[in-house]
Amino acid sequence: MDFQASHPGQQNGSSVSLVDRFGNKGAAVVTPKSEDEISEILQKANQEGKSVSIESGGSKRGYGGIKENYDYTLSMAEYKGVVEHNVGDMTVTVRAGTTITELQEFLQEHHQMIAIDPNWPDQSTIGGVIAANESGPKRLKYGSARDLVIGLRVVYPDGQVIRTGGKVVKNVAGYDMNKLFIGAMGTLGVITEITMKLRPIPKYESLVQVSASEDRIDDLKQLGVSIQDSMKEPVTLELLNPALSKKMINREAYTLLIAFEDVEKSCRDQEEWIEKHKPDGCYAEVLTQQEAQNFWKTFRSHAPNSLTDKAAEITQAVVKVASKNMDVYQIMKESKSIELEHDVSVEAHGGLGHGISHYIVSGKGEEVTAAVYHLRRITEVRKGYAVVKHLLYDLRNQIDIWGGKTSYFFLFEGIKHTIDPNNTLNHQRFIGGI
Amino acid sequence: MLKEMAASGQTAPCSSASISNYFSSDHPDENKWMDCVHCGMCLEACPTYLETGQEQHSPRGRVHLIKSVAEGKIQLNEQFADPVFQCLDCRACTTACPADVDVGGLIEEARGQIRQAMPLKGWKGAVSMFFLKGLFPYQERMHTLSGLLKFYQRSGLQKVVRKTGALKVMPDHLANMESIMPAIKPSVQKKYKDVDVIPARGVPKARVSMLTGCIMDVMFGDINQSTINVLTHNDNEVTIPKKQTCCGALHVHAGDRKTGRKLAKQNIEAFENSEKVVVNAAGCGCALKEYPELFKDDPEWKARAEAFSEKVEDVSKYLYDTGYEKPQSPLNKKITYHDACHLAHGQGVRHEPRQMLKDIPGVDYTELSNADTCCGSAGIYNITNPEMAEAVLDRKMEDVPQEVEMISMGNPGCMLQMAMGVQKYGRKSEIVHTVQLLDWAYQKDKQMIQGDRSKAAAEKG
Amino acid sequence: MFKNKKKKKTQRDPHINKLIEIVGEKEVLYEDADLLSYDCDGFTVHRAMPKAVVFPENTEEVAAIVRYCSINDIPFLARGAGTGLSGGAIPLNREVIISLVKMKHLLSVDYENRQAVVQPGFVNLKLTNSISDKGYYYAPDPSSQYVCTIGGNVAENAGGAHCLKYGVTTNHILGLEVVLPNGEIIEISEDGVPDSPGYDVMGLLTGSEGTLGIVTKITVRILKNPEGKQTVLAYFDHIEDGSRAVSDIISAGIVPAALEMMDKTAIEGVEAGSYPVGHPDDIEALLLIEVDGILAGIEEQIDQILSVCKGRNVREVKVAESEEERGRWWANRKTGFGAMGAISRDYLVQDGVIPRSKLPEVLKNISEISKESGLRIANIFHAGDGNLHPLILFDSSNPGETEKALKAGTACLKACSDVGGSITGEHGVGIEKKEEMRFVFTDEELEAQIKIREVFNPDDLLNKGKLFPTPSRCMDVKKIVKDTVAVQ
Repeated sequence: MDFQASHPGQQNGSSVSLVDRFGNKGAAVVTPKSEDEISEILQKANQEGKSVSIESGGSKRGYGGIKENYDYTLSMAEYKGVVEHNVGDMTVTVRAGTTITELQEFLQEHHQMIAIDPNWPDQSTIGGVIAANESGPKRLKYGSARDLVIGLRVVYPDGQVIRTGGKVVKNVAGYDMNKLFIGAMGTLGVITEITMKLRPIPKYESLVQVSASEDRIDDLKQLGVSIQDSMKEPVTLELLNPALSKKMINREAYTLLIAFEDVEKSCRDQEEWIEKHKPDGCYAEVLTQQEAQNFWKTFRSHAPNSLTDKAAEITQAVVKVASKNMDVYQIMKESKSIELEHDVSVEAHGGLGHGISHYIVSGKGEEVTAAVYHLRRITEVRKGYAVVKHLLYDLRNQIDIWGGKTSYFFLFEGIKHTIDPNNTLNHQRFIGGI
Repeated sequence: MLKEMAASGQTAPCSSASISNYFSSDHPDENKWMDCVHCGMCLEACPTYLETGQEQHSPRGRVHLIKSVAEGKIQLNEQFADPVFQCLDCRACTTACPADVDVGGLIEEARGQIRQAMPLKGWKGAVSMFFLKGLFPYQERMHTLSGLLKFYQRSGLQKVVRKTGALKVMPDHLANMESIMPAIKPSVQKKYKDVDVIPARGVPKARVSMLTGCIMDVMFGDINQSTINVLTHNDNEVTIPKKQTCCGALHVHAGDRKTGRKLAKQNIEAFENSEKVVVNAAGCGCALKEYPELFKDDPEWKARAEAFSEKVEDVSKYLYDTGYEKPQSPLNKKITYHDACHLAHGQGVRHEPRQMLKDIPGVDYTELSNADTCCGSAGIYNITNPEMAEAVLDRKMEDVPQEVEMISMGNPGCMLQMAMGVQKYGRKSEIVHTVQLLDWAYQKDKQMIQGDRSKAAAEKG
Repeated sequence: MFKNKKKKKTQRDPHINKLIEIVGEKEVLYEDADLLSYDCDGFTVHRAMPKAVVFPENTEEVAAIVRYCSINDIPFLARGAGTGLSGGAIPLNREVIISLVKMKHLLSVDYENRQAVVQPGFVNLKLTNSISDKGYYYAPDPSSQYVCTIGGNVAENAGGAHCLKYGVTTNHILGLEVVLPNGEIIEISEDGVPDSPGYDVMGLLTGSEGTLGIVTKITVRILKNPEGKQTVLAYFDHIEDGSRAVSDIISAGIVPAALEMMDKTAIEGVEAGSYPVGHPDDIEALLLIEVDGILAGIEEQIDQILSVCKGRNVREVKVAESEEERGRWWANRKTGFGAMGAISRDYLVQDGVIPRSKLPEVLKNISEISKESGLRIANIFHAGDGNLHPLILFDSSNPGETEKALKAGTACLKACSDVGGSITGEHGVGIEKKEEMRFVFTDEELEAQIKIREVFNPDDLLNKGKLFPTPSRCMDVKKIVKDTVAVQ
């Protein structure tokens, strides 16, 4: 191959070697600036039997993959920018390498936003977020990538460009192929452009933080249940464990983050409702507008990723736990035993209304893996699952970060084989080694 | 390939008689099915579809079949007859249909065609003959009966049925019916035999004629009496034209349009001089209103039938429209209301009887869920299609709350069927006609006034 | 139950006997007169007779039927209430129709986790009716919701008037049990746990129009009723004003729960139908706008909507004063398609989607198409999400008029796809829009989709001949040639 490939090892010694601890490393990095280039690169790699690892912001090197080295890293970092924004239609088409912050800042001028709030918006690119199906606490109200993406351009491993979906908000022409690539970890194709539904930036926002000491966590859960059973419309119902709460707001207590985004009157009305219904002995604080935004900004940066996790002495794992909505609370409660048993620290948050939780487990390597297994056991009892989203490459090889194959895994194999028969793209990055 | 299919699938509907498999006269009216776009909104309204889940037993399925005979795709045979006769004729589909397709009318026309093509034989024929030809049209026969079942036994029909082994459920079913037969009350036809005009209570505001109905007058004479009471109480003079006969609804439902026409003519003549024809049986009322349908090929009688049907009104609607006195005496009962199909779907009367009930002091009214779903009575359907009728009844009874003391309605067929349901499920609810309740409340008012008077008289004395 | 004289066992097709063995005699239809009712669904332009209709009552029976068909090379397809508008349930290949209407139970409701589990034959509106006493509802509300089944909704990825704010079926499905075309039963996201690891097969199956598998159990999300709800009806003298008001409302930062529009011809139809409201007959357009959410915030949004309408020369605009009035407005709208039967013998409904800002332009094009074809076109549609429903009114008894209508329909879809839209927003492709798929996808893109079908449905026995134009590529051409030869 004769691409303009750079060899990362030669450029920036020390930090690179730290990032390389997370694997998913290409012997050479190619940074295309056009879709044609991407297509050409893949076509050639595919023909020549080379393996390609896809990356753009680089924050997810520790997510998936039991293969340390690829022939190439295809960096999407320079394939960025808004292609089309139709203000009246509330849709945007954006190149995959655009960071979340860049996109939101662009849209802000038109009082619009993409309704997705993943971690690390400054580093994470929209392509990465979609490919890994990242979401944040606000998915309670706004949904996740699968609810927001209406169209994609994808370069297949053989270089063909395939459009899926379209540019309209409602569309059932043909199979809903968008779904195939969302959360596929780049194993089927390279997403180059993403078309998404937009929402108006809410006219007002606030955040009620209700904290309860450990012995009163049941009261907090009850509050969550009664909010859900009321006709109030929170944007988040995110429960924080005491460790994370301490880190975020310096209160070592279980804390429920209840956010509202609407016209001011409506937010105020709902804040008052919470004030009225919060259990005795709970402490509540209301942040509004900029304060609330600042909090979320901090919140989105608390978890480690492969760019920030430079600690040599401790090992950190980020685990995505999915469960039924109310099991978020049960699992978090039980996870206390993990800390005690394994000599690790656990920071956790999870959405009572959407069932996705994140656990940051820190400690010594073996302790961390043992703790992850423990967490997975607790989760699987409740028919949920635990996926490790961030962990050192060496340790990833020791535990199945996807938690085993599903009964219909043969369909995944079939899909992978039909689109990427040569395993050119992100081979072994995904469940069951596909 | 697709284009060819489009062309072949798009056969023109019955425009020339050559492809149609119908007889040339009185066949299902093309204009009736033309509006059906097969959208399916009727499905969940249809009791037989709900029961079977099969679309040939759904309104749009039946319309499709009726149309297909006209298009020469299928024959007038048993395969066609089955779904057409499984229809309860409850008209719920007419209400559900966004395009107002008259499915009921089509069904009746189709039944007429089927009966021409394949007259009823066997036990069904015998039953039908017995009720429709031998009984209902003859007031005197109806009157000499002390109960349907006795006649059934006496007529030898029972033997026929047993001998042919036609249907094991039949005797059971009729036995069930016998057990709920109401105590026979005097017929108003007989009672007012020599009275020309039954006077109004006060200054008469109108004169109305009453259709006494055949089942109603024989089995529910007290309801007819209540109807007269309520009408006269509200200053109406009432006449009972002598020559009137059975409305013919059941004949038309059964496909015997010839007898239907005969009876219709007799009634049209009997009520020629009446200004208003008040009916207390929903099925009869609906049939009278639809007489013009029977005379599509006879312009002279069609015009007379149209003039006649204009005059027909259900008693609840008549009272509601002309005003009625609200009773004073409380009737402390938990009451619900069942929409007779031919009142709600057939005549669009829903609000009036409910309002009447709510106007009686002390009535604790509960709305029945799926109130306008058929009870399975459907004329003599419960005799000809007992299994389906029972399944439909079961569904109906599931909706009746345990604690209801009275179920009110406006059709004798429903009353018998619901009485059977109440008995089958061991319920305590009493089955009543809406006008009865109003009548009872007026009676109580009267007693109270008399009581007051005698009390006053006693005090004076 | 019915005393039909049916063929004796020995006279019957052995396959029919086998199907009877699986589900029982009463649950198989095979006589022509009985099958006739299954020769089409809500799309009546094409008709074809099935081989048989079977009524399984549980997943195992479905699987057994599917396995039998698959082993014996018998084409088959699934059907719900048969209200689909694109012909997805029409048996083009003499299929065995697997009717799921007897699998019609609500299996469980879990209020705390906001989910319900239903069988595929469970009627859409019944779900809301079953949970409304606790203040919950199921959001997707296609106009046929009184009768259509949730299984059918999944197959078509059904939308509805309120999907502008709440999303379509796919956004409310949490888990599926599916019988694959080889008879294997798989369970995706059992218990409705989100983001199941692996490719989003559930997302792919939803809206696959019954070509990838047969759904036998569905876990859906249920929502709490909104605290407040206000409905506005606005009459416009000029259609252009009406369509600009649509964009203005959205641009004002309001996310209405529903934003519906009807044009003059459509109004004539609904007023002649069973649920007339009394709309003036001389207006060119009406908007039906619903806002819901926190009570305290609604008034402000309604005020904004009223002022937007006034800014677009509205003739009259009013807020529903009672639940009853609101109900009447909606019944009038929701029975709109069927009501066209009252003013036209036949109609063909199209389902194009456009970017909402292109509304005035496309409506103008559609009126041109109407003029050219000489056929009246009524527009009744979800304006908020740009989902148009041109209803082409025609009379199939006039020679050539059906073809004219089909042509006009295609032209409408072309007008939509030309402005960057789509050929279907909620009705699906089915048979109806197979060819029009080429308006929006290249051959390569179509092939990419067909390849996915082959992963699930390699022998193409399940709902064959739907969704994709024929022949779309060499392999399909070969297949068709082979099939034709075999038939001859």
